[in-house]
Amino acid sequence: MAVSQGNKIVVDARGIACPGPITEVVKAYRNARNGDIIEVHATDPGFEPDIKAWIQRTGNQLVELRKDSDKIVAVIKVTAKK
Amino acid sequence: MANNKKRVVIIGGGAGGVVLANRLPKDEFDITIIDKQPYNYFLPWLLYIAFKGSRKPIKREIRSVLKPWVNFIQSGANVVNLQDRYVELESGKRLEYDYVVIATGASVDYSRVPGLDKVTEKFGNYHSNEDNAWRVWQTLNKMREGTLAVILAPGAYRCPPSPLEGVFLAEEFFRRRGLRDRVRIVFATFYPRPYPAEPMNELIEPLLKERGIDYVTFYTLDRIDPEKGVAYSMEGEELKFDSAIVIPPHVGVGIKYVPGDVLDSDGFVQADKFTNRVKGFDDAFVIGDASALPVAKTGVTAHLQAGVVAKILQGEDARNTGRTNCPFDVGYGLGTFVISDFYNPTIKYPINRINHLFKVAFAATYWDMLLYPELWDPVFESYFEATEPARIRHLYG
Ligand SMILES: Cc1cc2nc3c(=O)[nH]c(=O)nc-3n(C[C@H](O)[C@H](O)[C@H](O)COP(=O)(O)OP(=O)(O)OC[C@H]3O[C@@H](n4cnc5c(N)ncnc54)[C@H](O)[C@@H]3O)c2cc1C
Repeated sequence: MAVSQGNKIVVDARGIACPGPITEVVKAYRNARNGDIIEVHATDPGFEPDIKAWIQRTGNQLVELRKDSDKIVAVIKVTAKK
Repeated sequence: MANNKKRVVIIGGGAGGVVLANRLPKDEFDITIIDKQPYNYFLPWLLYIAFKGSRKPIKREIRSVLKPWVNFIQSGANVVNLQDRYVELESGKRLEYDYVVIATGASVDYSRVPGLDKVTEKFGNYHSNEDNAWRVWQTLNKMREGTLAVILAPGAYRCPPSPLEGVFLAEEFFRRRGLRDRVRIVFATFYPRPYPAEPMNELIEPLLKERGIDYVTFYTLDRIDPEKGVAYSMEGEELKFDSAIVIPPHVGVGIKYVPGDVLDSDGFVQADKFTNRVKGFDDAFVIGDASALPVAKTGVTAHLQAGVVAKILQGEDARNTGRTNCPFDVGYGLGTFVISDFYNPTIKYPINRINHLFKVAFAATYWDMLLYPELWDPVFESYFEATEPARIRHLYG
């Protein structure tokens, strides 16, 4: 199977309250293809449980989830798009 | 004297544009509203056409809800040139301005979900126009059994509670007709929970369970087939239905902007959330559904933003608080409100009968509020003060 090159999509959802960040993720997901990386920057604390639940539910891959001093960063690899 | 007046061009004669025009003092401003069509619509009433077959009129001539000194031009705006400060009409005529306010609302884009145009033609929706809302009413009346799916397509949409309001009113409809045992109702949403904000969801999710309504979360609608009766999600799930009402993705209205990068990828205008100033310009504003701001697309938001912009144009240092106050009908004459602002998360505002009455009273006074903001502002202000999130969050959590 061919492995696609994979684009990186950076989503800036800082300053957006819940559920804004997850809306932004879905927006990026809609335009993404398998192999793409979505990197999300968010400040809303609700984003962390939401993105974990989203990953669990959709079966995509959470490459990294870290808390910087001023933001939460989630790096997602799109693998489960039908 | 007239030469000293500032020329304000407002594009869009909906909830936001009209209330702003009526708020600006005539001795300071020369005010013009442009709209591509002659009516001001009370869009929230589409819900009651769709689910209750209401025949109450939902539109009035824009001219009839404007102060006599406001100029009205019925024409589409094709171009907004922020650099050279003019608005170009369909005829090619250019209107120059000192201030421009974009209040063009949102439009729906069926093309983003393959099959959605056919589904809408067949079953209707309650987020676009009267015809489609009447189609929903026909859909409900035709159904005797099977599955009714209400699906929130990924993207922006008007009025955060509206998808679930439709679900609850559909449930009431089938129960009152004695068909509830034979009609399954399922709500599908791309959010992690039925109502996106957790505190409100704590009220809503148990209510869905109590009324026997099924729901699917993290369901990102990808395509839909009305003939087969299947909706497919990007997560690979198949949702079978006999009738489907889909809240379509909303986008900007397709005006050309110079510079083009004031628009986001969905065609909404980017702006400062406190002042509504269009990104990079101090003489251009966007209010209501037309903006890309992360605030709810509601008439109340448009109304409050119009108040802030009116003050800024008069030289005051006004700022938005991000306040929302969305009535939420849960059926059987009961309701709640979605209340929050930039500084406070959504309140768990109890469901009761009074809230529903407020919603109905609000609808009855809508055009009067647009025409006489000076009379209604004090009423509004005291209501907003009494229900201020910072004040009531300790009561309801
Ligand atoms: C089912 C439903 C229920 C709702 N319930 C509520 C509720 O309970 N409470 C609440 O506050 N809100 C509610 N809303 C949302 C509310 O209706 C909108 O948020 C509100 O109408 C937004 O106002 P606006 O002025 O931004 O845009 P609109 O009212 O949409 O007005 C935009 C205007 O711009 C004009 N226009 C567009 N393009 C052009 C152009 N190129 N040139 C010239 N003119 C143009 C249009 O013709 C229109 O008249 C509901 C909406 C729906 C669909």
